[in-house]
Amino acid sequence: MSFGSPYTTLPDFEYHRASSVDDVIRLLKEFGDEAEVMAGGVGLMAFMKERLLSPGHLIDIKDVKELRQIAFSAGDGLIIGSAVTIEEVAASQDVKARYQALHEAATKTADPMIRARATLVGNLCEAIPWVDSPPVLMALDATVEIAGSGGRRTVPVGSFIKGPVEVDLASDEFVTKIQVPDRGQASRSAFEKFTGGSEFALASVAVSVGVADGKRKARVIFGSINSTPVRCVEAEQVLQEAELGQSSIRKAADVASEKVECVSDVLASADYRKHLVRVITTKALGRLAQA
Amino acid sequence: MREVAVKVNGAIRRDSMKDNELLLDFLRDKLEVRSVKAACWRGECGLCTVLLNGRLVKSCLVLAVEADGGDVKTVEGISENGELAPIQKAFIEHGASQCGFCTPAWVLASHELLKRNPDPTDEEIEVAVAGLLCRCGTYAQTKEAIHSLARPGQRRQLEKLVKSVG
Repeated sequence: MSFGSPYTTLPDFEYHRASSVDDVIRLLKEFGDEAEVMAGGVGLMAFMKERLLSPGHLIDIKDVKELRQIAFSAGDGLIIGSAVTIEEVAASQDVKARYQALHEAATKTADPMIRARATLVGNLCEAIPWVDSPPVLMALDATVEIAGSGGRRTVPVGSFIKGPVEVDLASDEFVTKIQVPDRGQASRSAFEKFTGGSEFALASVAVSVGVADGKRKARVIFGSINSTPVRCVEAEQVLQEAELGQSSIRKAADVASEKVECVSDVLASADYRKHLVRVITTKALGRLAQA
Repeated sequence: MREVAVKVNGAIRRDSMKDNELLLDFLRDKLEVRSVKAACWRGECGLCTVLLNGRLVKSCLVLAVEADGGDVKTVEGISENGELAPIQKAFIEHGASQCGFCTPAWVLASHELLKRNPDPTDEEIEVAVAGLLCRCGTYAQTKEAIHSLARPGQRRQLEKLVKSVG
């Protein structure tokens, strides 16, 4: 008994199972605005049950071999195809060894059954303010490869996310993969989120430190505190100017808490989020200092 | 409408369905597999958990067409020769079920956990069943039921040895 009502049913659509990237592009060209691309479908079905989306066509990309690839190489870095599940990301030894923030976020996403279905790219494309992958991928300088009728193009994750629930995708385009550069053995990253027992994070942070062109390089990106991920350049500067240690960690956390803009909503006030920003930044950087 | 064939607990079931039908509704309403419970329809409670091609899934998050040609197993499929499976007996012995509404999902998930990990720790159990809710709160009893079937692995023997020495 689904009561025939929203929340329990999906709007009408036609289901297509694509077999190749070209197949997806062909279907997108044919149905364009009417179509949504689906991999795990976890986020998509939630939107559809709420009738926030009612696509006439669903294009399932699960079977597309090229999109199922997850691989690391010294030159290309990490490649994660758009049909790779969060479980596969969490299980990857390369991710665990070289992209700790991504490993931590993937292992803490939802629950095992969701992780086995949901994809990292799907999580990114939802661009809901409280999903974990955008801040993590931004802290790791990841890029998104997009394919469409006009060919392929690559954009940084930071500009791919244009607003809450809004990404840089034309109606005939879809994401084929995420590429995360090889950051070298010296780089480290960490992810922290505070959920307070809620389903969603009230605040999250992804931090990374490394060396580029002989200089210290740092990234501090917050999620769940505003409608899109928030980068804190001032905190990054603190970490670039001084060795990672007790005083630089305290200073970076204080600066971040002061500078970042937080929203008040039903989950938490802006003041509380600013407090959480200080706490999780201290925790994440503290773990980097020990690593 | 689309004609599909899904293997459910070993038997091929054929039926017609619309593309927007959830696996949950297909199993419950069309095939009358009533151990699969419908509660939240949004992947939070886990009571619609089934095995699809050997993997646990929340059937409210899976399209029925995705199961076309596939293999679905529910709690009805884990007993053999009309005998309750060991995990079902353990749930009864340890009172790991109160109102019973969520029990099929918990039994199935626990059964799968023990297949992959014959001697799970408390923490491993917590991670494995993180997607399931029980409003009666029989979490502790469920853990006991799972532990009661654990085949003592090396870790447990090591723990005993450490205790006996300490």
